[in-house]
Amino acid sequence: MGDNKLLALDNIDLSISEGDFVSIMGSSGSGKSTLMNIIGCLDVPSSGEYHFRDNNVSTLNSNKLAELRNKDIGFVFQNFNLLPRLNAQENVVLPLLYSGKNLKERNKLAIEALESVGLKDRVHHRPNQLSGGQQQRVSIARAIAGSPKLILADEPTGALDSKTGLEIMKILNDLNAQGITIVLVTHEDDIANYGSRIIKMKDGKILEDKKNVNN
Amino acid sequence: MSITDLIYLSQKSLRSNILRSILTSLGIIIGVSSVITMISIGTGARIEVEQQIERFGSNNLIVRSQSSSNRGVSMGANSVNTLTLKDMEALKEELPAIKAIAPNVALSTQIVANGNNWLATVTGTTNDYFDLGNWKFENGRSFEEEELSSGARVAIIGKTVQKNLFDTDSPIDEVIRINKVPFTVIGLLDEKGGTAWADLDDTVIVPLKTAKQRLVAKKFPGDQIRSMTINVRSSDLLFKTEKDVDTVMRKLHKISANGNPDFVIRNYAQFLNARQESSRVMSILLATVAGISLIVGGIGIMNIMLVTVTERTKEIGVCMSVGAKKRDILLQFLIESLMISLIGGLIGIALGLGVIFGVSEYFKWKMSLDYMSIVLSFVFSSSIGIIFGFYPARKAANLNPIDALRYE
Repeated sequence: MGDNKLLALDNIDLSISEGDFVSIMGSSGSGKSTLMNIIGCLDVPSSGEYHFRDNNVSTLNSNKLAELRNKDIGFVFQNFNLLPRLNAQENVVLPLLYSGKNLKERNKLAIEALESVGLKDRVHHRPNQLSGGQQQRVSIARAIAGSPKLILADEPTGALDSKTGLEIMKILNDLNAQGITIVLVTHEDDIANYGSRIIKMKDGKILEDKKNVNN
Repeated sequence: MSITDLIYLSQKSLRSNILRSILTSLGIIIGVSSVITMISIGTGARIEVEQQIERFGSNNLIVRSQSSSNRGVSMGANSVNTLTLKDMEALKEELPAIKAIAPNVALSTQIVANGNNWLATVTGTTNDYFDLGNWKFENGRSFEEEELSSGARVAIIGKTVQKNLFDTDSPIDEVIRINKVPFTVIGLLDEKGGTAWADLDDTVIVPLKTAKQRLVAKKFPGDQIRSMTINVRSSDLLFKTEKDVDTVMRKLHKISANGNPDFVIRNYAQFLNARQESSRVMSILLATVAGISLIVGGIGIMNIMLVTVTERTKEIGVCMSVGAKKRDILLQFLIESLMISLIGGLIGIALGLGVIFGVSEYFKWKMSLDYMSIVLSFVFSSSIGIIFGFYPARKAANLNPIDALRYE
């Protein structure tokens, strides 16, 4: 602190190819959250460049970033981050609202997304009427409703028991099999093992980047 | 994101905190109901004044006798009739600004007809009385010259007297007994409606001469009369003529310019001005209340919206992460504060209507609902919602998505 500049990410050179399943591991303060924010277009790097598909994200303004997140990226959070006042379907509809889809289309897409995560009979339940695993599945449905290219999962199993956690990982795995790129942040080895590539970070630097032989 | 979606999301969050939403709009409720009441009092007063002018005629002066105490003894009100027909003739002659004068004598007495009896004011006067007082005939006619000069026993009655003696039947050509003297009804006056003080339709009018000979011979002996209504040619001449009448009357009654007169001159303009002035004071008072409560209400909205933005920081982050633009967040919070103030506006309008109804019912104040005032209230409350909602909404829209997501 003081006059010393703190670099959250230092000299990162990383490229992720489409359809990959990448696990990022690291202790807190390792810079993995900052990396996530940049990959997820929530933040732009203070120096250096980030390219997402055909976009040089470093040069985009907040509206363009919002559009990218809306169309191409889905987020799955540790604490689900569902809006408590809205039921499952309305939560899933949220990103479609912002992309300006009409009522009929977005309800159809939301129901389909909920079906694909096995929550067909829970569409009108509010988050507090759902279990943790069900809430996480709603948030996955929300992430995939707009058919994104990339899903960012930040400790998706962190708030769940191990059995439910495995169910969630299975869903993510299936999505990856359908061609969606997955970037997963975790500190649990067995969860990270779902990835086909594991990146370990420390102090803002990439410590290790290797193919996952177990997968 | 369409407006209907925004409204849908806003009402969800307002309903989740319904008590807070209503308490927040309290200032607007009070402000808007005051605005509506204020405007209604104003228009009501204006309409009442217009109606009074319509009823009494606008360019009239009334001269009444008044007990004089210039000899050290007060004679009590109306104990002496100091006005005479000679005064009337002299005024007519001396002042060309006077168009017509209607003299009158009056008494309150029992009227019997058709087996019913009714207490009414009987006025003896001439045909000028009808023109000057803006009286119209529903049925029948005014007096003929011959009836006036011979003192014929004919009478013209008002609606209230008709109702009480004849119900809905035509009273024309029926005989009524005034103080046991039989009179034939020759006319029925149009309804004028009541004022706060008197029912104008509770009246019986007979020729001046007949009244003086048969009804009030003792009370108004010789050529004495109770009062006269003077009609002035134009309203510009009203106040000058009032002074002239005073001068001429003092000369006739031999009263010095600073002595106590034995008559009093009234004009309706004075009375109407007083009425208008009192409602104007009331309106200013209410406008102040309305202004202050609208501003306080606006600040209340801003305050609650700031709290709401802080409470929902994380939620704003989530919305941003799934693709909400600054504009979407700004609009959503603006619509929320707009809805609070509009709900306040609606409740305020309902409350205002209640107050208007209550006041006009219990105090018999004339209040008129102006539809413009409802439109005005809507404009007022919505602009307050937007003005005071803008700062919190902008604060929400300018949140950094990462900080917002991380907020606990």
